[in-house]
Amino acid sequence: MATEVILPKVDMDQETGTIVEWVKKDGEEVTEGEIILVIETDKVAIDVEAPATGVLQGISAAPGEVLPIATVIAHILEPGEELPQGPMPPPPTPQETLAEVPPSTVPATPVARKMAAAHEIDLQQVNGSGQQGQVTKADVVAVVSSPPATAPDGKVYAAPAARRVASELGVDLNQVQGTGPGGRIQSVDVTAAAQSPQPMPIEVQSSSEPEVIPLVGMRRTIAERLTASYQSIPHINFTARILMDAFIATRATLNEHAERAGEARISATALLVKLVSIALQRHPWVNSSFTDEAILLHRSINVGVAVALEEGLIVPVVHDADKKGIALIGTEVSDLATRARAGQLLPSEVGGGTFTISNLGPFGVEQFEAIINPPQAAILAVGMTQQEAVPLDNGEIVAKPVMHITLSADHRVIDGAVAANFMAELKSLLENPILLSY
Amino acid sequence: MEQEPKVKPKGKKKGITVGKAEAREMLLQMYEIRAFEEQAEKSYMAGKIHGTMHLSIGQEASAVGSISTIEPTDYILGHHRGHGLCIAKDADLNLMMAEFYGKENGYCRGRGGSMHIADVEGGNLGANGVVGGGLPMAVGVGVGLKMRAKGQVILSFFGDGAASTGAFHESMILAVLFKVPVVFICENNQYAMSFRTSDWTTSENLAGLAEHYGMPAVATDGNDLLAVREAVEEAVEYARSGQGPYLVVNDTYRWRGHSKSDRNRYRTQEEIDEWKSVDPIERFRKVASKKKWLTAKEADEIKDEGYARIEAARIFAEDSPEPTVESIEEGVYAP
Amino acid sequence: MREITYLEAIREAMTQEMERDESVFLIGEDIGTYGGAFQVTHGMYEQFGPERILDTPITELGLTGAATGAALIGMRPIAEIMFMDFTTLASEQLVNQAAKLRFMFGGKASVPMVLRTPAGSGTGAAEHHSQSLENWFVHVPGLKVVMPTTPYDAKGLLLASIRDNNPVVFVEHKLLYKTKGEVPEEDYTIPLGQADVKRSGTDLTIVATSIMVSRSLEAAEELAKEGINVEVVDPRSLRPLDTGTIVESVKKTGKVLIVHEAVKTGGFGGELAGVIAESEAFGYLEAPIVRLAGREIPIPYNRTLEQNAVPQVANIVEKARDIVQLKV
Repeated sequence: MATEVILPKVDMDQETGTIVEWVKKDGEEVTEGEIILVIETDKVAIDVEAPATGVLQGISAAPGEVLPIATVIAHILEPGEELPQGPMPPPPTPQETLAEVPPSTVPATPVARKMAAAHEIDLQQVNGSGQQGQVTKADVVAVVSSPPATAPDGKVYAAPAARRVASELGVDLNQVQGTGPGGRIQSVDVTAAAQSPQPMPIEVQSSSEPEVIPLVGMRRTIAERLTASYQSIPHINFTARILMDAFIATRATLNEHAERAGEARISATALLVKLVSIALQRHPWVNSSFTDEAILLHRSINVGVAVALEEGLIVPVVHDADKKGIALIGTEVSDLATRARAGQLLPSEVGGGTFTISNLGPFGVEQFEAIINPPQAAILAVGMTQQEAVPLDNGEIVAKPVMHITLSADHRVIDGAVAANFMAELKSLLENPILLSY
Repeated sequence: MEQEPKVKPKGKKKGITVGKAEAREMLLQMYEIRAFEEQAEKSYMAGKIHGTMHLSIGQEASAVGSISTIEPTDYILGHHRGHGLCIAKDADLNLMMAEFYGKENGYCRGRGGSMHIADVEGGNLGANGVVGGGLPMAVGVGVGLKMRAKGQVILSFFGDGAASTGAFHESMILAVLFKVPVVFICENNQYAMSFRTSDWTTSENLAGLAEHYGMPAVATDGNDLLAVREAVEEAVEYARSGQGPYLVVNDTYRWRGHSKSDRNRYRTQEEIDEWKSVDPIERFRKVASKKKWLTAKEADEIKDEGYARIEAARIFAEDSPEPTVESIEEGVYAP
Repeated sequence: MREITYLEAIREAMTQEMERDESVFLIGEDIGTYGGAFQVTHGMYEQFGPERILDTPITELGLTGAATGAALIGMRPIAEIMFMDFTTLASEQLVNQAAKLRFMFGGKASVPMVLRTPAGSGTGAAEHHSQSLENWFVHVPGLKVVMPTTPYDAKGLLLASIRDNNPVVFVEHKLLYKTKGEVPEEDYTIPLGQADVKRSGTDLTIVATSIMVSRSLEAAEELAKEGINVEVVDPRSLRPLDTGTIVESVKKTGKVLIVHEAVKTGGFGGELAGVIAESEAFGYLEAPIVRLAGREIPIPYNRTLEQNAVPQVANIVEKARDIVQLKV
């Protein structure tokens, strides 16, 4: 059988070799051990000896050719032997397959190509500035040094422990103020934000010095949010005077019913929330949000009710108030306020509001203007109900229970007429609660 | 060239006692070594071997002559050109070839390869990839054997390259100090990779160096199986009887390059051819024939047997399983 | 219980084990009649004789290799390298041979040896006799690295190391040799890979090695006066490492300070920081993982310079306080 001459492996990690020259020619007689050709690896040039004695035949690789190791490149025939027919047998599969480098379709300079590979940059994504769009080193450098597409907005500086606790308690770290070095959020800050923040123990330095309330936690959040709201939202205010006798009568009727049913009494707030939600249902522009791109008219009517706390304020939300009965709203408002004061609200219970009511009537305030709670577009400030002189149609002046309400609206969203129509609707509902069922 | 020993053994010849059976065994081992390494080279060049290898073709007499003098309970500790040493220490050819192929059922489960074949149970404490790395360990083995006092010895093989290391100096000193039963065998194959050993020493000078440490030493014609055997036999007897270490320098030559990427720039074809003419196998065949231990026909049959065994080992190795990646972390620590 | 020194505890462990197991022997420089450079083997030559106390000339590579070879055929040698600085001379045999033989031979060999060596600064021995190179060896699979702090740990860990079937680098600290502590007379072992909480606390975990454990405990006393409650964890063996104890401690305190004498860059502290950061303790961290370690210099000779080259108690107190008070 003819002896194969193969391109030998002579180096560690060698996968190919280059034919440098054939020392023996096709048809020449060779002796085993005699040098028949020279090959080259990236390390050295090597003489290849004849593996057998005979006639060198069928040289199939020319000088300069680069071939995988173990490729059959010739045969040595003893007398009477013939070259094997057909194609050369394929070389045995090396244990490591040859790395196939697909030709790149993107024209690029070698340096650019190397640099792109080093930085794992897809050349397809690089605009070439060279001839015929060839990608140059400068083009790759530009990509490497350009800032990432997504700006690091919304990056929060928080200790790993704070991140874990925030995730466990469902707290949005963007809403948490850090007390660690450089404002780093610690796990205690997250717990404080999730729970009712405990009043900071303040050491009184001396009676003549002001008491120092650190601007942290909820206090800082309130300060930042209200400043942002007042500075960025053009507020417009509309006040209306409401005759409250029908409202009071309706509430009394409802309470009689509740008492008979052995259920909790209906608070004024509950009735107020219900009536506001119906007004909102009829005036969707007031139940909206302003964003940089668009105005969002919310399909859900989620009414927040501000609750005062010792260290600030929290606004639990009655979701889908328009779809709920007054008794249910009453129960919810009462429950939310209680838990707000105990610091047990869930994040979902303080989020998602589309409109806010701030009622300072119980504190004796006649009338005031509130600052909008973004991203909502409006807030209703409710004053106390008190007897006021009211002229009747017949010219007579009588004392009647009266309440002042003020709508503060985001004027970018809510036009004057829209606000006026909403207020008219709300006044009508408050003065005639029976219209609920209209 | 006439088969004139390059270095003549010192001392007077005692006359080697080799019978027919022993002659047969030694010739077979030399052929197995030659065949193993030729096969290794072929498999390597065909791209079937991942890594490198160092061939000792031309040095067979040193391995077989030396190791034929010891008992199965004795030890050897080798160097990186160690295929021949393993075979002379009765290695299982299948397990050796499987190791060379990096297979799971190789001697070292494919973890060590050509440079680290070992069979601790069989007294082969392993080939070593660091030149001079085995010398201090051999001293320690000697310390242990001396403490156990069962009359065992160890043959510590190293090359002329190791003779220039600090490890050699420290090991000679400690071996003499502790009087350990170690026979150091320097296989001077004339080159440390490309560095010509004769530029700084000779086999005789190396032996002389050992004598300066206080250790008896002898330089032999390392291509003369019987000369090697005689010298090592005397050294082993000396060590076994508790007199301490001994150095034997076998003057020999590797036909092949240092490793496969060697271009032989540092030596001439004439020099290689000269050494090929004192082929240790052919020389032993002549002696065996003259002494009527083996006929030419018998010797040819032995050759065929040796090559057939290696062919069987090749098939065994190629059919053997690869180690699994799941087992990759096994064997780092002993339980 | 009886109190003995760290040095005596080491000697007692070797003596008891040599009495118990005939395959155990010592090899090293000046360990014979001289008794060892630090007197650790004092009296052992008289007890066991030259057959088992192998006094050598200056041959760090040779004697380490001899230990390796003897272990390869089943002996249990204990090699002493007089200063850890000289393990660089021994490391060919330790790193290339002892550590790898088992794996290289397909799991069919073992090298049950111990290489004992004193490390550390504080004695004015300067650049060539003061280094802490433990992490060089931690980096080598196949080796185990043990660093005892107390006399009790020294004895129990050394007995476990001698009985271990792998090469163990046993790093002693020169300044600890004369420290005293309670040590049982009987034979006991402490498993390698079991950390010890040397002091319990809630505010900060200090993970320290060798003499830095002692200094951290002193620092913890100082901090306790300020109401800062520090936990001190001593890994005792660096490889294998008891990650569980460290992780649990960090989960509890949320803050961690790592202290070692070796140079910070490439030191074991980086490994500890990595282990903590990769573990579930990550989510409990309230502050960055902080390392306090040797400066990036060789150990200088001058006393003041030498003291300032490695962490002292005051440095630990200060750094610990900063972490607890969230100044970092």
